[in-house]
Amino acid sequence: MSTVVTSNEVIRDIEQLLYQEASLLDRPDLDRWIELYTEDGTYWMPAIEDQEDPLNHISLFYDDRVMMEVRRRNFVHPRAASKDYKVRSSHIISNIQVTEMDEKTGDCTVTSNFHCLMYYRDKQTPYAGKYTHELVRDGDSYKIRHKRVDLINCDAVLNTIIIYI
Amino acid sequence: MSYSTKDIENLVQPTRYHRNVYTDPEIFDLEMERIWARSWIYIGHESQVPEPGSYMTMNYGKMPVVMVRDKNNDVHVLHNRCGHKGTKVVDTPCGKISGFRCCYHGWTYRLDGKLLGVPHLKGYEGTGFDKDDPQYSMQKLARYDSYRGFVFATMDASAPDLKTWMGGAADVMDNLCDRAPEGEVEAAGGVLRYEHDCNWKPFLENLNDAMHPMIVHRSVVDAANEYMSTLPEDSPHRDEAEILPPFGQSYEYMEDMGITGFKYGHHYNGGKTSIHADYSVDPEYEAAMIKAYGKERMQEILSFNTHNTLYYPSLTIKSAVQNIRVVRPISYNKTIIETFSFRLKGAPDSMLQRTILYSRLINSNGSMVGPDDQTVYFRIQEGLKSTASDWIEMHRNFGRDEVLDDRTVGMGTSDLDVRTQYSAWKEYMTAAGP
Repeated sequence: MSTVVTSNEVIRDIEQLLYQEASLLDRPDLDRWIELYTEDGTYWMPAIEDQEDPLNHISLFYDDRVMMEVRRRNFVHPRAASKDYKVRSSHIISNIQVTEMDEKTGDCTVTSNFHCLMYYRDKQTPYAGKYTHELVRDGDSYKIRHKRVDLINCDAVLNTIIIYI
Repeated sequence: MSYSTKDIENLVQPTRYHRNVYTDPEIFDLEMERIWARSWIYIGHESQVPEPGSYMTMNYGKMPVVMVRDKNNDVHVLHNRCGHKGTKVVDTPCGKISGFRCCYHGWTYRLDGKLLGVPHLKGYEGTGFDKDDPQYSMQKLARYDSYRGFVFATMDASAPDLKTWMGGAADVMDNLCDRAPEGEVEAAGGVLRYEHDCNWKPFLENLNDAMHPMIVHRSVVDAANEYMSTLPEDSPHRDEAEILPPFGQSYEYMEDMGITGFKYGHHYNGGKTSIHADYSVDPEYEAAMIKAYGKERMQEILSFNTHNTLYYPSLTIKSAVQNIRVVRPISYNKTIIETFSFRLKGAPDSMLQRTILYSRLINSNGSMVGPDDQTVYFRIQEGLKSTASDWIEMHRNFGRDEVLDDRTVGMGTSDLDVRTQYSAWKEYMTAAGP
């Protein structure tokens, strides 16, 4: 997919949103993270390369807003054994490219590469791959309508992925 | 230490078992030889090798094997080892080939494993090497067989036949397939491979432990109930709202599910009802089932509702959900659990989509259910490093289970499942070698 040329200002706004999302996941702060998504927003982590369909093929994650709300509550529940451990991560995002842009609405599709180190239950795990964000204009900023996370090892044997990447 | 038969017998007593069965690498190695090489181990489903030349690789215990369909449409399970230097012949999860070819010296094999070609054969003249000697072929496992498309293999030539070995637990495999209007299922929608930081047995012992869901899965039940109750009444139907809350069912509900154990360690929870019993039925599916079976038979099929069914030690299935989990032990404290989903042939797409949703919601590495179970297994593994006691207890409902001809039945909350497994464990582990 070719890169769409956009103004520095637009690129800057998009970067800011991606960095803001990454820093909320670093903590993680799901209460504020969820607010970055539209009401019909979805988060998808496929289980195979080039997966086309989240409904007829298994995925690692596929949450709509309702399941994000459930997950947010589950994450802080005092009786979830898997959440007894600190979760901290460090996301680095780069190679940001705007691949589609609707000049009228400002809605766009943005791809980027990410490296995420996640510390959980005494172990540090590296995750890497590609993000695809579908963004909609929301005043001066953007909201996320869809985020796709393609791990480079999505089809490998993986351990628990305790939270969104 | 080196275990004598007597030592092993002492590890399992009527209401308790020794912690070494989880924590000792030597026991793990013995289990691989005595349980995982003697029992029928699940290999894969015939639909995963749909055409001649289709293959799929996996581990049988610690050993690499390959399931392959030959030119006559027969499915074989072969050791994935070249007859020459021992190289693993195929090393991709699945694919299609016209024959096997080793990547090292180019030895070629038929799809049934028979050695075909050895390059520059004249160097072997007069050396005693015979290309047609079966020992240089890719070896078949001692026995393999399938039941309604599910392929199992064993290294034990003297094992009972597959159907006998399954016993009454075959009813659930039948039920899984009968839920398809065409009476057959096929693997669909990919696989999840989930590394567990534990021995293989805590996973199995948790499958039908009906005393844990309301504790371990309380958080997701609360989260789902709390948020979903705030949704407007006219919100669209969500399968999640039917799948998640039943994990919080009461002890009384779990007792009523009942549990049934069989010879060789198999068992299932439920039957009359289960935590999957109240799923809504797609009218299109219902119509297809009535057309195929008639209303009465359909009701009979759909009302046999089990939770997990274990074919000890490698396969657990959910007939009401149409997914399966496969156990691949790696070491005494590392196990891989694979989740596969199945399509009911002749059913609308919505049925597979619910299966996929279930697998993702409950069994995925990123789910809100599986990771809590995994944490418990890990903590069992950690806690048992303690020398406070050598024993793990399994008393619940001991002496109250009802022993029938071919099965033992009890309350859903009974430790019957654990006792059933350890009785098989002991039998396999202490039997004379094949």
